[in-house]
Amino acid sequence: MLRIRAFEEALMRRPDHGFQLLSSGQEAVAVGVCAALAPADQLLASGRSIAPALARGLDPRLVMAELLGKEAGPCKGRGGRGHLAAPAAGFFGAHAVVGGNLSIAAGVALAMQLRNPGAIVACMFGDGACGGGALHETLNIAALWKLPLLLVCDNNGYSISTRTADALAAPSPSSLGAPFGIPAARVDGMDALAVCDAAARFAARVRAGDGPAFLECVSARFATHSSATRETRSAEELAADRARCPIRRLAEHLAAGGLLTQDERARMDAEAAAVAQDALRFADAAPYPDPAELLRDVG
Amino acid sequence: MSADAATAMRKVFFREAIARALREEMERDASVIVLGQDVGRYGGAYKEFAGLFDRFGSARVRDTPVAESAMVGLGVGAAAAGLRPLVAITYMDFLMLGLDALVNYAAKARYKTGGQLRVPMIVKTTAGARGQGVAHSQCIEAWAMSVPGLAVVAPSTPADAYGLLKTSLRHEGPVLFVDHKRLFPTPGNVSLEETPVPFGKANVCRAGNDATVVAHGYMCRVALEAAEILAASGASCEVIDLRSLAPLDVATVAASAARTGVLVTVEEGQSVCGVGTEVAFRVRELVPALRVARVAAAAAPVSSNPVLEQACLPDATGVAETVRRLLS
Repeated sequence: MLRIRAFEEALMRRPDHGFQLLSSGQEAVAVGVCAALAPADQLLASGRSIAPALARGLDPRLVMAELLGKEAGPCKGRGGRGHLAAPAAGFFGAHAVVGGNLSIAAGVALAMQLRNPGAIVACMFGDGACGGGALHETLNIAALWKLPLLLVCDNNGYSISTRTADALAAPSPSSLGAPFGIPAARVDGMDALAVCDAAARFAARVRAGDGPAFLECVSARFATHSSATRETRSAEELAADRARCPIRRLAEHLAAGGLLTQDERARMDAEAAAVAQDALRFADAAPYPDPAELLRDVG
Repeated sequence: MSADAATAMRKVFFREAIARALREEMERDASVIVLGQDVGRYGGAYKEFAGLFDRFGSARVRDTPVAESAMVGLGVGAAAAGLRPLVAITYMDFLMLGLDALVNYAAKARYKTGGQLRVPMIVKTTAGARGQGVAHSQCIEAWAMSVPGLAVVAPSTPADAYGLLKTSLRHEGPVLFVDHKRLFPTPGNVSLEETPVPFGKANVCRAGNDATVVAHGYMCRVALEAAEILAASGASCEVIDLRSLAPLDVATVAASAARTGVLVTVEEGQSVCGVGTEVAFRVRELVPALRVARVAAAAAPVSSNPVLEQACLPDATGVAETVRRLLS
C-alpha cells in the first residue's frame, strides 16, 4: 500500500502525466484481493488500475513507463492509463469502459474452467458499474455456468459526482448477488485485513468449483474521480475519508501489536519513495514508440 | 461425382456448408466452441448448427441467455484467454447490443496490449429482410468495416460460406461473419476437399464487358438476376462478389471497372457511408474516368409490411435500370 501511494504521488508531481485515475485511499482493496490470488489466476480491473497492477506484482518501472506512454511499458505504451495489462504476470488487464471488463472476465473464467481448472479470475469494478446491464448479465451467466469468477466491487461511494444511492436502487452493490444465488459480502474496504480475510474465503470457494462470489469493499477515494474532474465533496467529508486511511489504519494496528516500530515505518516510507523515484527515472529514460510503427499489432 | 477427387463436389444448402465448416474445425481444434441462443439441441435459428450439439456436447456447444452484450463479451474474453469461440447473434440488429465488447475490446486488444493478447473469435450474425420488421432486418456490416482490427466477411454461396468460415476459424483476430436469412435454404456445390477462402479476395461470379456490378451476400443473387435481364437486351455485365468487406479487394473491382468504365454497387444496407460508397470511392481513386451509381435500401426502416419491405429493398429490375441509365 505504501508503494502504491508513493507511486501515485510521484506520478502526480509530473506535469506530463496526461490524465490519471488514482487509487489513493483504495489501496487496501487491491492489495487484499491480490493476496488471495495464486500465480495462475487472472485479475481484471476497471480504468482505476494503478493499485490493482502494482498489487498484482507488476514491476513499478514498467507500470510507470506504460502510464507515461513509453515503449518499455508492458503494452509498449499503447494501452496507457486505463488499459494496463500483463497477462503473463496474472494481470489480464484493465479496461476503461465502465463495466466493460465484466463479461470479458466471465469469458476468461470460462477459458479457465475448460482449460485450467483450479485457477480463478477476479474482476474489480466500481460502484458506478452496478446500474448497467453488464453486471446483471454477467452475474446471471456466471451463476448459471458456475464460472470461477470473483467479482469485487470497489465501492468508493461515487461515480464521478453521483452518489451510489442516487444511481442504484438496490440497497447495496453486494445485494445484487442474492437474486442470482451468488454468495456476497460487504466489508470495510479501508481495512486491509478485513479485505484479505473476505477475499481469501471467497477465492477458496470459487477455486473449489462452487461458482462465482461477490465481494463488495466499501472504500473512499482521496482524489477526484480522475485528475481531469472537479471535486464535489465538502472539506469535512474529505477529512472524514482521509481519517479512514487504510495505510494509517494498518500501521496503527501493527504498531499496537508491537509488529511495527517507528524506525521500521520510516524505512518503509523511504523505500516506497525510492521505488517510485526509480520507476520515474526508468520511464524517463525509455523512448516513446516510433510513430512509424503506428499500425503495428492492429487486429 | 467426378472421378477426380480434387474437383469432387457435393450439392449442399448454405446452412449445411456452415455446419460442415464448424464440424471440421471443431474436430481439428479443441479450442473451438459455439455460444449463442438456441445453438444446442435446437441447432440454430436456421439449422446452421445442426448436429454439432450431438457431436461435441454441451460444454462446446452452449445455449446462452438472451443477453447479446454479455455473450459477445464472454466470447471475447474466452478468446483472449485461449479459446476460439464462435458467438452466434441471431439477427444483426441485435449485434448493436454487443458492439462494446466487439469494438472496444476485441478489435483493440492486440493493439492496446502491445501484442500480448489476441482475440481469435467470430461473431456470426444474420442480416437481411424477410418479413421480420424494423428491428430484425437490418444490414449494418458497413458500420463494422470502419473498425480498425476487425475483419468482416459476407458470403453469398455455400462454397464461400464454408470457405470463409474455415478461414475465420483460423484467423488470429476478431471476425464478423455476416450471412443472410434468404441464403440459408439456397443450394450450391461445395468441394469435398478442404477449400478455405482467403480474406480480401473478391470473386468474379459472372464475366462481362459493358458494366461492373459489385455486391455481397444475398445481393449477389439480385445482381446476377439483373445481369440476366440486361443480357436479354444485349448488355454484358461483370458481377463481382466482394465476399470480404474488410479487408476489401479493391484491385479486383478496379481492374474490372477500368475495363468496363461503369461501376454499380448494390447492397441491402444504406448507401450513406455504405459498402458501395466505400468501394466506389476507392475504385474511382484508381479509375478516375468512371461512371458510378449506388443501389441500396431506401432511407427508411425496413417494415414487416410486405409491400413496404419490397419497396424499401433493391431488386433486380432496379439494378438493371441503374446499369442501363449509366450505359445510355
